[in-house]
Amino acid sequence: MREIETALELRGVSKRYPGTLAADDVSLSVRSGEVHALIGENGAGKSTLMKIIAGSFDDYTGEVLLNDRPVTLHSPAMAKAAGIAMIQQELSLAGPISVAENILAGRLPSRRGLLDRKAMLAEASRCLSLVGLGHLDPLAPAEEISPHEAQLVEIAKALGRDPCILVMDEPTSSLSREEVDRLFEIIRGLRRRGLAIVYISHHLPEVLAVADRVTVLRDGRKVATKDIRDVTAAQLVEMMVGRSVSDLYAERTTTPGARKLSVEHLTRRGFFHDVSLHVCAGEVLGLGGLSGAGRSELARCICGIDPVDAGRIVLDGRPLSLRSYRAAVRAGLAYLTEDRKAQGLALRLRMGGNILSALIPRHSRWGVYSPGRGRGVLKRLVGALDITPPQPGRLVGTLSGGNQQKVLLAKWLATDPQVLILDEPTRGVDVGAKVVIHRAIAELADAGKSVILISSDLPELVGLSDRIAIMRQGHLVGEIGRADATEASVLLAANGEGDFVRS
Amino acid sequence: MSRPPDIRSAAPAVAGRLYNVLSLLGVYVLIGALFAAGRLISDEFLTTSNLLITLRSVTLLGIVAVGVSFITYSRHYVDLSIPGIMALSGTVAVWALKYGFATSLAAGLGTGLAVGLINGLAVGYYRLNPIVWTLAMGSVLSGLIRWAYAGRQIYPDKATPAGRAFLQLYHAEVLGAVPLVVLLLAIAAIAAHLVMQKTGFGAQLKLTGSSYEVARMTGVNVRRTVAIAFVISAGTSALAGILLTSFNKVGAFYIGKGYDFAAITAVVLGGMTLAGGRGTIVGVVGGVTAIALMDNVMSLVRIGDFVIGEYPKQAIQGALFIAIVGVHSYWLRKSGMDDA
Repeated sequence: MREIETALELRGVSKRYPGTLAADDVSLSVRSGEVHALIGENGAGKSTLMKIIAGSFDDYTGEVLLNDRPVTLHSPAMAKAAGIAMIQQELSLAGPISVAENILAGRLPSRRGLLDRKAMLAEASRCLSLVGLGHLDPLAPAEEISPHEAQLVEIAKALGRDPCILVMDEPTSSLSREEVDRLFEIIRGLRRRGLAIVYISHHLPEVLAVADRVTVLRDGRKVATKDIRDVTAAQLVEMMVGRSVSDLYAERTTTPGARKLSVEHLTRRGFFHDVSLHVCAGEVLGLGGLSGAGRSELARCICGIDPVDAGRIVLDGRPLSLRSYRAAVRAGLAYLTEDRKAQGLALRLRMGGNILSALIPRHSRWGVYSPGRGRGVLKRLVGALDITPPQPGRLVGTLSGGNQQKVLLAKWLATDPQVLILDEPTRGVDVGAKVVIHRAIAELADAGKSVILISSDLPELVGLSDRIAIMRQGHLVGEIGRADATEASVLLAANGEGDFVRS
Repeated sequence: MSRPPDIRSAAPAVAGRLYNVLSLLGVYVLIGALFAAGRLISDEFLTTSNLLITLRSVTLLGIVAVGVSFITYSRHYVDLSIPGIMALSGTVAVWALKYGFATSLAAGLGTGLAVGLINGLAVGYYRLNPIVWTLAMGSVLSGLIRWAYAGRQIYPDKATPAGRAFLQLYHAEVLGAVPLVVLLLAIAAIAAHLVMQKTGFGAQLKLTGSSYEVARMTGVNVRRTVAIAFVISAGTSALAGILLTSFNKVGAFYIGKGYDFAAITAVVLGGMTLAGGRGTIVGVVGGVTAIALMDNVMSLVRIGDFVIGEYPKQAIQGALFIAIVGVHSYWLRKSGMDDA
């Protein structure tokens, strides 16, 4: 057996922001050849710790040791030189330039001051083969490869510098199930090569599948480090929230009412074809499928954001002809985007302004806007969704991810929609926020509204939906009733197999 | 449900508020400093006549800046066809004097608004780059005027009542001794302030400026909102162009030269950042005032034979613009509010 070496060690590391300790006396060690998961709710200190390791701060306290030698990580360049490589949650590839140039950014080989093309291609191919992308053309522009490949190219780029520590922040958030499995194969390969991997994630099943040890953080402090074989998902959740979450998904009792919204033979060429479905009053219709199955595209077309090529949409028995999203909102539809930061919230505006932003036309008379008319609904939603801190004057960008997501939900609940389409409503949020959002969705349905839920979180989809329609490669392939819906049956159908796929 | 209080720092919120206050106050602090400097440099500075001249000299710039701030607020930076619109509106107004005074004003304003509409369609609806499009538009307008009049200037006919009224326009006084131009600036500034702060359009413009995609996905008619900003800016430019033509007593292609850059400097100096969705008209008015005072103070500098001429002033104005944009960006990044 190989001797266990500690590749990275933190000793009593703290980082203070004005007014708060974001990391409070954290000690942990990461061994060579291990995948060490770092988990915790939003705001627990994961990102802060990661940033310390990445050299983003020059004012942390405590000691960082690499291979038992103390190091100073006061700038990203120092961290890089020390052999630490980061893979951020957001992809950082430059679209128009080639994969090879992306991988070798900052260290392009040159000969006599000119680019050494041959050496560049050879080195890029070497890096790509490390992540099983040997087949990829290194000269393809980065914008032409799939999100999955882009994620792997990021890893290839990081590996190219031959690091001894690899830090990955939510590397699976844009990947489908199969792609996650392939990524895990690659991670295991890297582990065998002796790399120390810090793996940050919200997704407990993934952590349990890929990690060797796990460290749980809460409120900036370390709760515990455990061997992965000694813990269950439930125990981890309990450590993360500091209380037991007995039942994430309350049983819903109401029975769906009349047909609210019907989609008939809707087609947008290249995205989805001949999709027909309906949702009743008081019903949560789940929309399951792998990423890229056309679910978000369908939702956008239902709401008039993108044009449709064929088919029609019927609301309350009357055909809708939507020429804009504005018209859809007026008709009582709402679409909660999956891209909170780019499309959901104006991060530099206040929380209250964001929540009321979709109500501006409704709260205007003769062109004069009275935000005061939204004071009641604002107060009610901030309370009902437990948005912390409950200060409408706060800039949204300063709230934690989970609370931002609640603000986004509040923005659409404020419009009192008849049909609310939710696209990944809890992606990347902490357990506490998740519970609140799930409760709000259930309450909305109980109040007789219709909800269409798009989610890649299978427990969530199964737990909340009254009925699940399955999409695959742009087609509606089947439907699963509440009684038969399990994570397994949904996943099987999403892959085009099982009893619930129509032949 | 009981949750521990959010441990995230309150610092960004405080920094944010501080930033808002500072960026508005900042320009008024600068104005105060300029007053002090003026007082030190020259006894002429604090005389009523000097301050009145200063105020008058800046009214047209103020009118232009108030309009263009709608574009800056919407995160579309600036309308570089402002000089072109000013020259065209003035020239058209002089040309239309033969049909009467009122027609002349209507024609001048209408022409400017029409150009604004084209800008709005191109930038708002067809999403063309505002800088490149309005730069080209300015060149087209200037070329058209030179072409139409073979590079000559045109003069209002003093023999007609309309011509005399037009030449009197800039110097007119209303309500006793208030210059008409100052009144127009006041009306424009107050109206712009109310539109930005109190109307649905203003609220949606703020959202659009803060994040175009978010506004679109909130159901805001972003194309129309941006287009209207360009029409408003063109309208104030046209008004200023007509007044400037009246002051110069001549319609010509070069009228309004430099107003685009001076206006955006005033807007940014007043705390309305190029990143959009931030700042107020109160700040912009302060920015305009600061520019006027700076200009005035610099022209009062006399150390022996040394005076600051027109060219160094221009260079100083440019350097000032760069400095403000730099300070703004630095501040926003430091306080963690730079989301762009």
